[in-house]
Amino acid sequence: MAEGGTPVFGKTRFLEGLIEELLDKIVEGSLYLELGVKAYLASEGRSPVCQEKLDQILQVKEQCAELRRRIATLLYSEMLIPDARGDVFRLLGDLFELLDDMGNDFQNLMIEQPTGAPTGYRADFEELNAAALGSVRAVLNASRTFFRDPAAVRDHINEVRLYEAESDRIALRIKTRAFATDHDYESKCRLRNAADMLDGLADKAERLGDELAIFAIKRAL
Amino acid sequence: MDLIVTLIFLSSGLFLGWSMGANDASNAFGTAVATRMIRFSTAAFLCSVFVIIGAVTSGAGAAEGLGQLGAINTLPGAFTAALAAALTVAWMSKLGLPASTSQAVVGSIIGWNLFSGSPTDLGTLRRILSTWIISPILGAIFAMLLYKFLVEWIRLTRPHLLSLDRNTRSGLILAGIFGSYAIGANGIGNVMGFFVAASPFRDLTLGSLSVSSVEQLFLIGAIAVAVGVYTYSRKVMMTVGDGLLTLSPLAAFVVVVSHSLVLFIFSSTALESLLAGWGLPTIPLLPVSGSQAVIGSVLGIGLLQGLKGVRQIRWGVLGGIASGWVTTPLIAAVMGFVLLFVVQNVFGQQVFLPVAALPSEAPALLAPSLTAAL
Repeated sequence: MAEGGTPVFGKTRFLEGLIEELLDKIVEGSLYLELGVKAYLASEGRSPVCQEKLDQILQVKEQCAELRRRIATLLYSEMLIPDARGDVFRLLGDLFELLDDMGNDFQNLMIEQPTGAPTGYRADFEELNAAALGSVRAVLNASRTFFRDPAAVRDHINEVRLYEAESDRIALRIKTRAFATDHDYESKCRLRNAADMLDGLADKAERLGDELAIFAIKRAL
Repeated sequence: MDLIVTLIFLSSGLFLGWSMGANDASNAFGTAVATRMIRFSTAAFLCSVFVIIGAVTSGAGAAEGLGQLGAINTLPGAFTAALAAALTVAWMSKLGLPASTSQAVVGSIIGWNLFSGSPTDLGTLRRILSTWIISPILGAIFAMLLYKFLVEWIRLTRPHLLSLDRNTRSGLILAGIFGSYAIGANGIGNVMGFFVAASPFRDLTLGSLSVSSVEQLFLIGAIAVAVGVYTYSRKVMMTVGDGLLTLSPLAAFVVVVSHSLVLFIFSSTALESLLAGWGLPTIPLLPVSGSQAVIGSVLGIGLLQGLKGVRQIRWGVLGGIASGWVTTPLIAAVMGFVLLFVVQNVFGQQVFLPVAALPSEAPALLAPSLTAAL
């Protein structure tokens, strides 16, 4: 993370660097979640690797919170990008919320289901994990593009939608399969909650993408 | 006693300076302030400083032009004409409408001509009137071309949102400074030109530095302009930059540059010589209105966006501005006529010398004055 105070000269480059760093950190958080969920599925429950990934996500979250505060302070105190300031602030806030949700959901999963999902669902959940986090990473790419080439944001947003639709499909498949079996009701609900958790991330990424599409239209010259 | 009388007469010039500051500062910094790219306090400071520099260093060269329209030949007459123009521009500023100071001056000179029975040079008048149409059209054309070019350039280079913001802000500051200098250099003739022949100041010499009485007069006038900028220009700035069409910072920059380009090509003797040197047809040097160029440029940006842009233009505001262009010279002429009557008949001042009574060498007060900062 960028250390120290704000430079007297070169504030623009400094702020560009902070925004890039924030986006990098959120990507990093999504990677930790992906690895954490993989470890969770592989070890069929909570494991030291999962705990390590959760700690890393929480650490990234703290760094991002600080970065976001610095960016907001600089944007407003220096009166930068008056026409897009509100949109940029909201975008960064929503991205941070996405990271926050990733951390909270993973933490809840480990608290509520320490023994892991019933056997036979690993491949489905791995597929769901890849699709949901694919949509998260596509929206992060779209956000990065927004700062340089708003017209190209649309391409990334299509990717977000595609991944989100795929997540919905896989989550539905998992839930249909779970409730068609003779597992006990508690197990069925746990499977449903785990599928909803990952699918929920993709939904949030899609909502963010829709918002970003509006911001990009406003920025289009 | 004479000095006091002269200073009293000078007060209407200072009032006209204040009105010009309140109104014309919007040409240089209006779009930058309205798009929140530059704080009003920063814009007012830069505008004031560069108006003063422009007036003192280049204002004395601003001669000819409107003098051909009519030559006011007494100090009370100049006082009254300046007062009529100042009241008209101040009224427009109160309404938040960008009026052209030079339009008001043209109106008041015609009012004086009518009152004194002096002939108005219809050729010059026609030429000036034609610029009131050419100026906004040219502003619109320049704005469209420049905006299109910049948009393509940004698409190719893809600067970061923050870098684009920094570059646009720097451009707005530089263009605003240039515009303020031009207001000082060209516009000060409109404000203080009435009083050049009656300047109460003496030439000053401090070592190798000498300040002529005219430069001192222009300095006082420029300070009055600066006071106008600080105290009353915000409203017109907001009309120019936001009232007619909501502008993006990039569009704001394009508007200021287009306005400067219009002023430049129609007032640059250097460009004229350059074209003549290359054997190309020269562009006629015409007095062009900055306020009208700015409004034309804003409209150009709107029209460039097609039907969407046309819908976004607030036609009611445009109607108000355009009607101001028609009414400003008319109001100034009528007000000038009425005030001349009052000053002559109530205060017993001689507001004009009959042309036949003028000694052949008597200088007209207006002749070396009002130029072109239209």
